[in-house]
Amino acid sequence: MALFPVISNFQYDFVLQLVPVDTDNTMDEVAAVAAHHSVGRRVAPQPDKVIRVRRQGDTDFFPRTAKLCETPIKPMETLEFIFAEE
Amino acid sequence: MTLLDRAEWYDIARATNWTPSYVSDAELFPDVMTGAQGVPAEKWESYDEPYKTSYPEYVRIQREKDAGAYSVKAALERNRMYETADPGWLSILKAHYGAIALGEYAAMSAEARMARFGRAPGMRNMATFGMLDENRHGQIQLYFPHEHCPKDRQFDWAHKAYHTNEWGAIAARHTFDDLFMARSATDIAVMLTFAFETGFTNMQFLGLAADAAETGDYTFASLISSIQTDESRHAQIGGPALQILIANGRKAEAQKLVDVAIARAWRLFALLTGISMDYYTPLEHRKQSFKEFMQEWIVGQFERSLIDLGLDLPWYWDQMINEFDYQHHAYHLGVWFWRPTVWWNPAAGMTPECRDWLEDKYPGWNDTFGKCWDVIIDNLLAGKPELTVPETLPIVCNMSQIPICAVPGKGWNVKDYPLDYKGRTYHFNSEIDRWVFQQDPVRYRDHLTAVDRFLAGHIQPPNLMGALQYMNLSPGEIGDDAHKYAWVEAYRNAPYSKKAA
Repeated sequence: MALFPVISNFQYDFVLQLVPVDTDNTMDEVAAVAAHHSVGRRVAPQPDKVIRVRRQGDTDFFPRTAKLCETPIKPMETLEFIFAEE
Repeated sequence: MTLLDRAEWYDIARATNWTPSYVSDAELFPDVMTGAQGVPAEKWESYDEPYKTSYPEYVRIQREKDAGAYSVKAALERNRMYETADPGWLSILKAHYGAIALGEYAAMSAEARMARFGRAPGMRNMATFGMLDENRHGQIQLYFPHEHCPKDRQFDWAHKAYHTNEWGAIAARHTFDDLFMARSATDIAVMLTFAFETGFTNMQFLGLAADAAETGDYTFASLISSIQTDESRHAQIGGPALQILIANGRKAEAQKLVDVAIARAWRLFALLTGISMDYYTPLEHRKQSFKEFMQEWIVGQFERSLIDLGLDLPWYWDQMINEFDYQHHAYHLGVWFWRPTVWWNPAAGMTPECRDWLEDKYPGWNDTFGKCWDVIIDNLLAGKPELTVPETLPIVCNMSQIPICAVPGKGWNVKDYPLDYKGRTYHFNSEIDRWVFQQDPVRYRDHLTAVDRFLAGHIQPPNLMGALQYMNLSPGEIGDDAHKYAWVEAYRNAPYSKKAA
């Protein structure tokens, strides 16, 4: 359990943001923290969708339940947060 | 006594090269300071400045310029410009003075370096006048805003900005340190006078003077015109220096200096001028969009200057022109959203009429940037202003020191351009910014962006209040919406609908 800064590149937002999360957070929890700084501020909510996480340039998302410490994500790596069906 | 015409004595008077006897030539003019790039001294003696003046002529003309600008100010001191001007115009003044006034002193040091270490006698002569010019610009742009300080503390940032760690001030310092404080005389001639001044400031000041007159701020118009006439003279130092570099087989080196300088200057202009022209200037006073301005002056005119000198267009030219469509819109949205972190009050420029204008000038604006503004407007109408201010930091580019941002909404293209270098990951706004870093990593590698400083624990407490303190922004100085959100009322019970094409 440790503070872990990542960079949020949130779909439809205009700017990269610093997002402090925890190594024990799941991808859904990381997505929720990122959403807090974008959705409802500059990005319209899409309540029927979930937000998935992937590394910049990847097409595959990390599993929603994967913990941050179980992924190869590095501190201050840019992650893409994408609205998805599930 | 009959005086000779200037043309009869000028060439002899400024032939000031000599053969040193107490020290070697290399000690008197070290390469690191001259930046002569191995081009021998005698080659530099062919340097021919296009604008020639003598000291008596210079003093007479400068005295007239100062007398003109100061008399306009004195005559209009009671015209209540501050009380009657649109708040957006006041924001342009505050942003301009804070970003530029002390930068003029930096430019004075740069001119002094050319005056001492320029390899060409003509360059040294021109730069002596340029040094005096920049000193005047620093003083006059501190004196003019000073009258507003008792009414509005944000005007104090004309002097204060460069002495702080406010993010915009860091961006300006980083750029100016790179382009002219930490460069050789030849580099300064190319990067400051040719790329920055000819390419951007000279033209930008022309536009700014016209906007000021259009807005009715004749004091600022006369101030800016007074400065611009100096700029158009000393900006000509770089052209002949480039000619000598190119004629002596140093085109690649010259091209790199130009490419780096234009890349860096473009970012600051998109931030300052782009926002001012397309958002802060009241709609009825806008003559041209920022994109039209850039197309006319940078693409239409500066491009020709590059080609005429025998240079190529920078490799990123098309990409930069592409950015005319969006970069300053993204900067504006960022400055407005992070408005507590600037020393002026950002004008949203977001009435329905403004949006129609933006859509007309930038087709697709409503489907991209407009989507973010829709959410902001909804929050303000719903009485949730807390959702229109930030709770975290934007990621700042390791080159421009400005947040990394691009197109939101339907054209979403935001991307990090990272670079791993000696164990550290750097983040950049574009391939252009990353390329600049790669040209000289040792030069840039140790600088910490505002975000790097936050993560390193320099900003305490680690929250927005700590950040505002770190940036020296005091109550009464931190930015808020210029029009106190009055523009939002246009949307109450009347959602924006895009004007039909």
